[in-house]
Amino acid sequence: MEGRKYEAKKITKFSHLFLYLLFFSANASFESSFSFSSSSTNMHTNNWAVLVCTSRFWFNYRHMANTLSLYRTVKRLGIPDERIILMLADDMACNTRNSYPAQVFNNENHQLNLYGDNVEVDYRGYEVTVENFLRVLTGRHETAVPRSKRLLSDEGSHILLYMTGHGGDEFLKFQDSEEIQSQDLADAIEQMREKGRFKELLIMVDTCQAATLFSRLYSPGVLAIGSSLKGENSYSHHLDSDVGVSVVDRFTFYTLAFFERLNMYDNASLSSLFNSYNPNLLMSTAYYRMDLYKRPLDQVPVTNFFGSVMEMTHVDSAYHAFSGKTKYETPHIQMPSSDQSTDQAEQQELRTSDASIETKYSVKEVKPGNNHLMGQWKALLDMVEDTDAFVNYGLLAMALVAVISSWVLS
Amino acid sequence: MAETGADVYYHSFYSRKKQFHPMSFFMGAPMEDNNNHSSTHAVNSVGIIRAPHGDGKEAIVLVSPYNSDKMELSDALSVGLAYSIFCLLGRAAWLAKDIVWLAADSKFGEYASVAEWLKQYHDPVFIGKKLNFHPVDGDIQFVRGISEDFKRAGTMAAAIVFKVLETSQGTGTDNVNIYAESSNGQMPNLDLINIVHYLAVHRHGLHVEVGKLSSLLNSLWLKMVGKFLEGVSNIVGSLNPKWRFALPVLDYVEGTAVLASSVYHQALGVPTGPHGAFRDYQIDAITLEISPRVSLNSEMARSSFLVRVGRLIEGIVRSVNNLLEKFHQSFFLYFLTSPSKFVSVGVYMIPFGLLVMPLPILAAALYSGKASEALVQKSDPFNTQKSYKASQENPFPSVGSWKWIHAAKLVFAVHLWATIISVLPSLIYQASCTNTTTNFLIWIALSIPSFFFFYWISLSSYFHSNDAGWAILKALTIGAASIGLGLMSIINFATAQIGAIFLVPMCLMVHPLRQIYRGAGLGELLHMVSNVVLGLIGFPPASFILLKGWSQGFEEVNMGDLWVWVENLWSWNSATYLYLLLVHLPCWVLCLIVLLHP
Repeated sequence: MEGRKYEAKKITKFSHLFLYLLFFSANASFESSFSFSSSSTNMHTNNWAVLVCTSRFWFNYRHMANTLSLYRTVKRLGIPDERIILMLADDMACNTRNSYPAQVFNNENHQLNLYGDNVEVDYRGYEVTVENFLRVLTGRHETAVPRSKRLLSDEGSHILLYMTGHGGDEFLKFQDSEEIQSQDLADAIEQMREKGRFKELLIMVDTCQAATLFSRLYSPGVLAIGSSLKGENSYSHHLDSDVGVSVVDRFTFYTLAFFERLNMYDNASLSSLFNSYNPNLLMSTAYYRMDLYKRPLDQVPVTNFFGSVMEMTHVDSAYHAFSGKTKYETPHIQMPSSDQSTDQAEQQELRTSDASIETKYSVKEVKPGNNHLMGQWKALLDMVEDTDAFVNYGLLAMALVAVISSWVLS
Repeated sequence: MAETGADVYYHSFYSRKKQFHPMSFFMGAPMEDNNNHSSTHAVNSVGIIRAPHGDGKEAIVLVSPYNSDKMELSDALSVGLAYSIFCLLGRAAWLAKDIVWLAADSKFGEYASVAEWLKQYHDPVFIGKKLNFHPVDGDIQFVRGISEDFKRAGTMAAAIVFKVLETSQGTGTDNVNIYAESSNGQMPNLDLINIVHYLAVHRHGLHVEVGKLSSLLNSLWLKMVGKFLEGVSNIVGSLNPKWRFALPVLDYVEGTAVLASSVYHQALGVPTGPHGAFRDYQIDAITLEISPRVSLNSEMARSSFLVRVGRLIEGIVRSVNNLLEKFHQSFFLYFLTSPSKFVSVGVYMIPFGLLVMPLPILAAALYSGKASEALVQKSDPFNTQKSYKASQENPFPSVGSWKWIHAAKLVFAVHLWATIISVLPSLIYQASCTNTTTNFLIWIALSIPSFFFFYWISLSSYFHSNDAGWAILKALTIGAASIGLGLMSIINFATAQIGAIFLVPMCLMVHPLRQIYRGAGLGELLHMVSNVVLGLIGFPPASFILLKGWSQGFEEVNMGDLWVWVENLWSWNSATYLYLLLVHLPCWVLCLIVLLHP
């Protein structure tokens, strides 16, 4: 009787303890995830590009060439197609007036055909509207819109937003039929920030009076550069006599010239890009605003926005993933801590550091105390990763408990 | 043409006799008249290249007129040039609009052939009977299967008419002459002329000209005016360099000559080339006359000439091809002062406005009687007693009663007379085909008695009015003149402008000679003389003779020229004819009546 009572007590005590510890670990995991939600401590995890050309018709050839050149640059520096949203009217390459059918050039030497085999246009023709543009930015689509047309960014994304076309004082003209005002753009970006859709945003505008388009921005974390000030026009670079129209704009031409010299691993900073624009060559003043942007420009590499550099480091031992985020992108490598006997504090640091090394963690003896408890339950969650094994173990444990209790009570 | 793979067809048409149908001023085109055929006909050949990827809604038209009766080297060159361009365009990769090539047979005139084709294109008439058609080269048609069905290519975006002239200009480069004026002073969009000028001068080194009045080039007084303006601008420029406004003297003289020619041709209302037929259907068109630098008898000279000019026309076609809509960004109302400079409507409206503005004001002032009373008193100093008494008895003799109706009746009668004599030439033309001088004399002979007949009808009531009655007449004349000028300025601005220059001073200054005569003094003398002079100039035949004599020498002028000139006007349905006979002539007659008022 006593034995049974003792065993029963042990079982109930065990079950209480089990429930308690389960609740605690769940709490701990929640806490750990909440510690990532403040933006200042977000990690930069991926790069997106939204490239918009707002004009159509044959005489706006150069806007199409601008956007396609940026598309090629951004792809070359590493951003893949699934993270680029390209909005073009796309009526140049197959236009009857094009004497080089299916080819789009941005230079009269015709060295580079921008319209190759793998240009993926997400919004083409009459789909480039103000409504679709704002839906892309804010993420509020109809349910039937496919994933390739959505901007699936999160709070660790750096987004490059490039817009070109005909613009004016505080507006940008879309396809000769509607306009977007600078206040609408500012509000859309604020919505993005509230929903945590970007960590940092770079807006690049190549139109007439471009600086007025981002004059109303008020969300932190946004950096903007335009090709001309209010009252100035932006000019095209040169005319191609064969094609018969101007093929590229000056601002984009000099931007591309800057990027021609780069490859993926260069550390050129944004300030060197912004300072490379010469007002005499541009025939307008390239103006940028950085009052909403916290980091100093000379410490931000251009590949933070224009490329997507993913450092892969080779480790000797296999590793289990700790949490959902497996890859950290950074141009700098930090030495991983591979010491197996570190205490729990350093284990927690692993989560917030930039290193990408995970180590295998062996379960140690359980000591009473909070830290130890967390470590213990991290090990438990580690085992929870393997769901099949967990289910099997659980069923086994339940069967054992049932057998023992029935044997004890009978 | 069929070898290039284009759609080819023949269009045959009959010549149309010149007829003067009074209603044709107001209707679009004269009605089809089956009884008016002559025995001969002419054949236009038309080829259409369909753009391989285009949507076939728009077309560009190239016209090369040639005379099938007597073919010369220049005609052959025009057609050859057009054919080579046509072949090139058939292979072009950038074609977005269809190309139509009309080889127009100018047996009955270049304009007639183009006009017939356009009429069949836009307003076709389907006659029941089949036309009796024998092609010039009888067997070619059956060999190549060229049809007679009329094929179309959509709306026309622009049209270029070009021909090669044999004579060389001696300017050292090939010369391109642009003719732009169409009927009733309409002009094509300025962008078309700009394209031709830019391509010709900057890309191909040709020399571009527009028509100019060569007589003005040598005039001395124009040079003096130019020098004077240059002097003034130099003085002003020494104060502030930005205020310099004058051109060098030679440019000024040449610009004035071109401007005068442009205004004159627009005012006439007669198209200056076959492109005028296009403008009636709201299609921008110009005529290019290309004259080579050296004579084209050698093979090499011909091929290099063809290459140069062919590139120019290909460039024009490509520019129009790249457009999305018809030309609409530039001016439609302008005068040219050189191939690259123009005076736009906002500027040239101002002098006309200034000229016409005093007319209604003076008419109102005269009618209210204040001006007339002052004039009566001023011109009658020796009869102050009489006039004072008259004014006491009847202070405002011309207001408040129905006295104005008599003057109005006279004005109406004069206008009715003018309408009748404007219809007279058609009857004369149909009645007799004698030579021009006799026609003109017959016209005058018929018009003068009818005038007196009308005058006598309305005279009896008019003479009841007293001394100041002529003021009412003048007021009504000025009113009629301002209405006529205003209406004309909408239809053909250049005519209204020139007409205002002649009409307004005459109307403003007219005053009964006898009343001026009563007063002595220099002012009155000048007034009298100016009235007489203006009265003389105001008479259209007189001014015509004067101008012609001044430009060409007085020996060559005869009465027949005037008849020819007027016939030219009405055969082209020009509104200038109506203006001259319905506005200018009645006002002149009424001014004469006031001038000779007893």
